[in-house]
Amino acid sequence: MSSGETRSGWSDGLLPANVRLGSESRIAGPDAFKRFFSKCDVGLSLGDRTCADGVRFAIGESGRILVGADCYLDDCILLAEQEIRIGHHVIIGWNTTISDSDFHPLAPAERVLDAIALSPAGGGRPRPAIICRPVTIGDDVYIGPACTILKGVEIGSGAYIEPGSVVTRSIPALAHVRGNPATWSSAEPSG
Amino acid sequence: MELSRAVGMSETSMPGPRKLAHDWFDGSIPDNVSFDASNYIDSSYSFRRFRSQRKPALVLGHGSAIYTNTTLDLGHSAQVRVGAFALLNGAKIICDEEITIGNYCLISWNVVLMDNFRAPKKLIRRRAYLDAVLRNPDSAASLQDPPRPVTIGSNVWIGHDAVVLPGVSIGTGSVIGARAVVDASLPNYCVAIGNPARIIRFLAAAS
Repeated sequence: MSSGETRSGWSDGLLPANVRLGSESRIAGPDAFKRFFSKCDVGLSLGDRTCADGVRFAIGESGRILVGADCYLDDCILLAEQEIRIGHHVIIGWNTTISDSDFHPLAPAERVLDAIALSPAGGGRPRPAIICRPVTIGDDVYIGPACTILKGVEIGSGAYIEPGSVVTRSIPALAHVRGNPATWSSAEPSG
Repeated sequence: MELSRAVGMSETSMPGPRKLAHDWFDGSIPDNVSFDASNYIDSSYSFRRFRSQRKPALVLGHGSAIYTNTTLDLGHSAQVRVGAFALLNGAKIICDEEITIGNYCLISWNVVLMDNFRAPKKLIRRRAYLDAVLRNPDSAASLQDPPRPVTIGSNVWIGHDAVVLPGVSIGTGSVIGARAVVDASLPNYCVAIGNPARIIRFLAAAS
């Protein structure tokens, strides 16, 4: 049985209509859908047995997050304006952030326009274009606590991301990743 | 009576489940948590992953406090000791055996203190662990690497988002910079920053 209900009734327990939960999957935490605005047919899907405990799904109107089966996502923040795709048997640790967008433009002049557009005094003018590039995480990936995975990154299956890594570029399968900015080696982690 | 006032416990609920009067979450403080009127606990939500059966499993020293978003994720046999006047302001404590936090420690938000990675590093073992833990967290213990206790000395200050890895000891009076990843033990009265953390200077010892 899948369960979107919260444990103790401190939330209304209602899931957005475009969330698909596999059997025995579970979502817990008061802020899971506080910033969920997806209007995609499927804004979020979790595969069978996947557990999202304390995860915040911050998903924009045209964004979606697709998570495979048998994943354990723990107190992390997933921000999707376009798409984050996570494979099967993936572990994501405490306080890790994954985003497919930088949310603001790089060029200073455009950032001024963005700040005005976002302001309550901005008169509803449109924001400048902001680059999004999907994030893809393969099967059997481990992402430790306090990591950051930035837009456009593809992480190959079986990769091991050490705690505190900031991943700005794609990572091949089975890589052992660490550091800020992250570097990788092909040696399997010891222990 | 004095105890229930100071920690905000609902007097009518004694001696049943220990509820906090000011709590937004409908939970209670486990029986194997040792604390008294000098302590402050913000919410029972901090105990939502508290599975330890040790007696005591958590000891709060005189005047120590547990503020918002602190998470006490304690496995079946875990014991955490928090020293006098220590302040946990939104830390994640991941413990399967033993984590000790000294007197006067200041632990900032999103700091992770872990005595166990829980997931094994080798891919094949990691998958077996995951299959077990998703069914029952307690069933996965035999599939993990053994925990390695973490000791934080007295008067240590840990900046936000820092991570302290299994087996690490931090000496008295040291300061850990924000977002540092501490993967090896550190001496007394040092300042360490970065990933992996390195010592950048030493401080005058407290007299």
